[in-house]
Amino acid sequence: MLDRFGEAISVVLGALALAYLVYEIDRRKRKLRDLFYVLDSEEADISADLSSMVESGELQPYSREVRA
Amino acid sequence: MPKSPSGSDPSRRPRAKARAPRKGPALTEDLTRPPDLLGGEIAGEPTGAGDASALPSPLGESAAVGMVVELPARHRTAARSKYKPPAEPRFRIFIIDSGWNTVARRVLRHNFALIRRLRRENLIYLVSRKKSAEFIRRHQSLIGRDPIIAVHDLEAITRQGIARFHGFHLHLGILRTQRQALMALQTFAQFVGTRRHSQNLEAEIRRELRREGMLGVIEILLQKAPRALGG
Repeated sequence: MLDRFGEAISVVLGALALAYLVYEIDRRKRKLRDLFYVLDSEEADISADLSSMVESGELQPYSREVRA
Repeated sequence: MPKSPSGSDPSRRPRAKARAPRKGPALTEDLTRPPDLLGGEIAGEPTGAGDASALPSPLGESAAVGMVVELPARHRTAARSKYKPPAEPRFRIFIIDSGWNTVARRVLRHNFALIRRLRRENLIYLVSRKKSAEFIRRHQSLIGRDPIIAVHDLEAITRQGIARFHGFHLHLGILRTQRQALMALQTFAQFVGTRRHSQNLEAEIRRELRREGMLGVIEILLQKAPRALGG
């Protein structure tokens, strides 16, 4: 009986460890996806806004010469 | 041995004539002026070209002999006229920062000059704090994610417009430590520099930066440095 109880605890703990591992990997991947956020159709309005600011002349390229 | 005052140098005046000696008036102005733009003043970039022949001797020597040294006025127009936009840039880079007092912002400000130096072949647009705040107000999903480095792939935009993949954002605002922010900046600089002729930038972003795929899972588990940095 104690053996079975011990096995059950081991299985539960193993499952918890695995679940935590999966959760942690997923969390880090989500963070990387958020950090390096790929632009596609959903962000078209954001990119269009930036492009229009450039085309209208509201934004100019950074032009300060850097010291050699 | 300190240099004796030279009558031919117009920037030197004897102390009796002058006001109280100042140490680096131009420097204190730069430090006290609230920087609206990133990097330039903090990183010590020149504010414009000066007359090289009239540069004074080091302040230490002048201070020692009680001389007032006036730094020559730097003319900004000369520096601006020297700027030539890069020929055929691949990327257009925007730096958006509304002003949150974060670790990532400080790291970006301190390293902006180096990033600028490394990425001179690309167009970099520095969005002022006011415009950044207005921009983020229009696109509220970006709140709290700035400073943002937005990279537009001009080749992809020319080829397929902005309805499909056309670049990526680096959301530095989600990083909490200096080390993370610095590593992200280094990864970004290295990635943008080495992918200038990339044919499939989206795939490379997903593989190298976002570590998608099985190899990426292993790298995440091992907490390795990004592959782009040799990890």
